[in-house]
Amino acid sequence: MASQKLTTGLTGLAVARHPQQTLKVVYEKILRTLQKFPEEAGYRRYTEQIVNERLNAVKAEPDVLALEKKLNAGQIEEVVLQAERELLLSRKMLQWRAWEPLVADAPKNQWKWPV
Amino acid sequence: MASRLCRAIRPIASFARKQLFQQPAVAQLAVQRRFETTDAVPPPETRPTVRPHDPLVKKQLTDFGQYVAECLPRFVQRVDVTYLDELEIMIHPDGVIPVLTFLKDHTNAQFLCITDIAGLDVPTREFRFEIVYNLLSLRYNQRVLVKTYTDELTPIDSTCEVFAGSNWYEREIWDMFGVFFANHPDLRRILTDYGFEGHPFRKDFPLSGYVEVRYDDEVKRVVVEPIELTQEFRKFEYSTPWETFPTYRRIEAGEDEAVPPETTEPKQ
Repeated sequence: MASQKLTTGLTGLAVARHPQQTLKVVYEKILRTLQKFPEEAGYRRYTEQIVNERLNAVKAEPDVLALEKKLNAGQIEEVVLQAERELLLSRKMLQWRAWEPLVADAPKNQWKWPV
Repeated sequence: MASRLCRAIRPIASFARKQLFQQPAVAQLAVQRRFETTDAVPPPETRPTVRPHDPLVKKQLTDFGQYVAECLPRFVQRVDVTYLDELEIMIHPDGVIPVLTFLKDHTNAQFLCITDIAGLDVPTREFRFEIVYNLLSLRYNQRVLVKTYTDELTPIDSTCEVFAGSNWYEREIWDMFGVFFANHPDLRRILTDYGFEGHPFRKDFPLSGYVEVRYDDEVKRVVVEPIELTQEFRKFEYSTPWETFPTYRRIEAGEDEAVPPETTEPKQ
């Protein structure tokens, strides 16, 4: 195939064979994790928006180079890495219960500068 | 000749300017006011020594700070954008790992690089140490400062599991300030000498230190002794070698109390 990428040009990052397939799987996993968050959690709202946007782009565009241009987030291999990181993060965020109210306020004058 | 002419003319010119343009200037200002709009763009900064200010960058930083605060309401206490356009995220010490992991792994942040960890000692505060994590996002070309606080006894979670690079930075903080990092794989002294005691960046650590090191010819080795300051080095010269304010020359010499500058005769 003429349009096939030979290299990413980045050390240690191999050309992905079936990037669309991988991305679809990872994005579905992220969306499933996000279902466990409360509806109004900020992280859930924003991440769902990002992931849905990218998932639709991946589904619509079969050509890798055109997809890279459309996503505008680096090469498709990097996008895969970003998605994997986001998946791990979403699972951890669920454990940390990051949507809850503030643990404790800072003591008075803690952030006051100059003292 | 020309310069002498100028000198003669200049006072007249300045006087004329004052007289002629004082009245119209006010009227002009009023006219300008009338045509002013709220979304006027200020002219770009051209002075080379003044930092140019980009309102767009500031807006982006503010928006991103708000985004982080909305995603992590449990840990973020405050978000600031400084006058030098740096984003500061103040967090509770429990949230060090969650916040840094979020900034590293989230698609809209991607702060994959830790550039430094800094410390600050303010003994009057309840939590005297402030720890500042400097992160860099190569994807979005952006930097962020994450600040948290602790004291001498409260350990802070080590971020080595998030950023491998923070290993040595945390050792530096441990060495200089004595802040303990829990779960650090190898928390040792890093900058000070072998067998050094104390944490030199603490405000209660004396500038001269406690010990001095010298080579002793009699015992043929380097010896460490308690520091001894000889009396000659205790004479301090307070006046500067440069003449900064000639009218205050007498005060600097320690002759008498302040004399108002207008009564002193300028020295010719």
